[in-house]
Amino acid sequence: MRILAVIRQVPDAEESIKLKDGKVDLSSSKLVIDTMDEYGIEQALRLRDAVPGSEVVVLAVGPERCEQALRGALAMGADRAVLVVAEAFLDAIAVSDVVAQIARKEQADLILCGGQQADWDSQALGAATAERLAWPQVTWTNALTIEGGQLVGRHDIDAGTEEFTLALPAVITTQQGLNEPRYPTLPNIMKAKKKELRKDPISDYGVTPRLEVLGAEVQVRARRRTILDGKDARLAAAQLVDLLRKEARVI
Amino acid sequence: MTTTEAHSTKRVKGGSFLIEDLQPQDIFTPEDLSQEQVQIAEMATAFAEEKILAQIQAIEAKDFEISKALMLELGELGLLGIDAPEEYGGLALDKVTSALVTEKLSVSGSFATTFSAHVTIGTLPLIWYGTKGQKDRYLSKLVTGDWIASYALSESSAGSDAMNIRTKARLSDDGKHYILNGEKMWITNAGFASLFTVFAKIDGEQFSAFLIERGTEGFSIGKEEHKLGIRGSSTCPLILNDCKVPVENLLGTAGKGHQIAFNILNVGRYKLAASAVRGSSTAFRDGVRYAKNRVGFGKPITEFGLVQKKIADTAAEIYAAESVVYRVVGAIDAALAELDSTSSTYYQQVQKCIEEFAAECSILKFACSEILDRAVDQMLQLHGGYGYVEEFPAERSYRDARINKIYEGTNEINRIITTGWLIKRGVKGELALMPAIQRVSEDVAQGGADMPVVHGTMNGEFAQLRSAKKIALFSLGLATAKFGTDLSEQQEVMGALAEVIAEVLLLDSTLLRTVKISGAKPMAETLARHFTSLSFARVKSAAERLLGAASEDDKLEGHATAMRRLTANAPINTVTTGRAIAAFMVEAGQYTL
Repeated sequence: MRILAVIRQVPDAEESIKLKDGKVDLSSSKLVIDTMDEYGIEQALRLRDAVPGSEVVVLAVGPERCEQALRGALAMGADRAVLVVAEAFLDAIAVSDVVAQIARKEQADLILCGGQQADWDSQALGAATAERLAWPQVTWTNALTIEGGQLVGRHDIDAGTEEFTLALPAVITTQQGLNEPRYPTLPNIMKAKKKELRKDPISDYGVTPRLEVLGAEVQVRARRRTILDGKDARLAAAQLVDLLRKEARVI
Repeated sequence: MTTTEAHSTKRVKGGSFLIEDLQPQDIFTPEDLSQEQVQIAEMATAFAEEKILAQIQAIEAKDFEISKALMLELGELGLLGIDAPEEYGGLALDKVTSALVTEKLSVSGSFATTFSAHVTIGTLPLIWYGTKGQKDRYLSKLVTGDWIASYALSESSAGSDAMNIRTKARLSDDGKHYILNGEKMWITNAGFASLFTVFAKIDGEQFSAFLIERGTEGFSIGKEEHKLGIRGSSTCPLILNDCKVPVENLLGTAGKGHQIAFNILNVGRYKLAASAVRGSSTAFRDGVRYAKNRVGFGKPITEFGLVQKKIADTAAEIYAAESVVYRVVGAIDAALAELDSTSSTYYQQVQKCIEEFAAECSILKFACSEILDRAVDQMLQLHGGYGYVEEFPAERSYRDARINKIYEGTNEINRIITTGWLIKRGVKGELALMPAIQRVSEDVAQGGADMPVVHGTMNGEFAQLRSAKKIALFSLGLATAKFGTDLSEQQEVMGALAEVIAEVLLLDSTLLRTVKISGAKPMAETLARHFTSLSFARVKSAAERLLGAASEDDKLEGHATAMRRLTANAPINTVTTGRAIAAFMVEAGQYTL
């Protein structure tokens, strides 16, 4: 079984976002593997270890710096990595085109990717990839094993949870609770350096993004610092309701 | 030794920082870490946050099962075997990697103590001095964390004065055992360790080390101490009552135990400094985040100047501590890289090599533990009343920091070692100290032309560094001339000399690093400038003490004039630098560059 774990490199959750020339500037930010994608890597490793002869290929589509994230995935235990180098911004639909092409080329049986992107909050990548490949997809998965060549698992749906069995090939998107990603061990970090990391230029894939980023801004929530004089409780309550209705517009 | 990646750090002689000027590219900085080292650091950082800090309450309540489980996990991750050879499950990596892991794991003083006592003073004696038989029996278990190690040197009446221990050993009549009697005090990890490196004098004379397993006949552990800080670490006395230790458990050579005791401490010292970097930055993060959210007089207190000053001073000192730790450990790696690791005397050569940097190790120990001390104090102060209650981590950090000025050799002993070791190497001709003192003394007497300036926007700071070097050498000259061989008895003078010398090493490391990285890290220059101001004030204060004590009465006036020239500097505006640093750090919510 060949498992493709798709990962993205995003700013660490503790980082504050800076803007430069109307664009998000990540040059001085600490960048990490998207947590949702980490669940995908971990699950890929577990499935690989459960099925002898399997292989985990980890894939990133993004700028050169994503190599660092891929090395991290290799250090966790992935077998090899592919980086499709694209310096310009690519939306999830464009990325799904690359992922689908690679899945075909690599003859992948299973694609794992994060349920939601930590930076752009999009949930489209898994679905779009499945659509391009005409594979079934299961989203928001929180349990996954393989039994007799079939995926067996559980995932969240609007009304609760649902158990499923699924034939391969398939696309699975992850969420918190699926597993607890391992730390890369020190020997594996040292070994990761020697593992294959292939780089393809994005031009090999003939992908053009449909989405163009025109600008970016950080919403600053300024405090009003209004203090209601509470001496007259009735009046204060009336003022508060009025403010909540007219200013905050929450009631 | 495997290096994670070759960095072209220059091989310099231990102590040479005082007499030579290096170029920025000659020193190792945290920015030179290899990709693997960065990954290792990230892994250790994540472990520290998610596993250690997440269980801090239980650790502090002395739930040693948690500490033992954490040690096992660290063993699985390979973090207990960084200094151990591969045949015993270790990785034999470079010292920078090992210092880096120590730094990143040190988010709790208690657990940092448990960890360091195990991997450094607990395990290194076995790695360096153990026979194949001893290593076969114990080393793999220590590398996996199945067994925890402990190091027992101190006694109730012998701490810094370690050679004065009273624990005795004698050979049994059948020659199969050493029989040990005595009591050890303040032994870290004693409550749950399985293997102890215990120092005793054979027949009351030959200072030696023994490997003793827990449960050995005549060996018992006393009650847990109730401590000011690091309450989650185990500290107990050991009682040796006709303790029967098999003769094959003598570690190293009988009568040569002092080598084990002292050489290990050099490593313990630079690792303590690495740990202090993390302790400082953890306290800093807690303090800044608290201050950011604390409103006083209608605005966050981080908008007040004196709060900003505390933040800026602390950040600048963390920057300096980080600079000096990695510069020194990087220099040690560059020296170790020249050794042949397949040689049968490899570990002896390693120790000799690290010993060459004994003064640097002592400086790291006292300077970084004092930076940590100031950091936790300032950060507690930011919390106001909340700093004084257990609800916030500032209180624990404050208590936990204090031990660092005591263990691994008190800061007083380390000051004496710093000055003493450099003079000793100078006298032996291993370091060209005497000619340098001579040159500076003549130079100072003649009013001294300054060397050309080379570091652009940092020229003013480099000029102060050069002055600090001259002050150190000039004062060394005065002190050696006045006291001669009696200088070692003049502890106040030895101490003040060590303080100036330490500032030289800190300034040198900080400024060189800054030139190397300021293109990529714009805040570095401001931090370096701010630190130079703090550091040079300490140089001046120590110089004044030195002058008063070490100058001959009839020459005092002339010397004072010369010293004034050296200590004269146009002050920078530390309000401006301080505010810029504070704004940057408050925005980041942590120490960062």
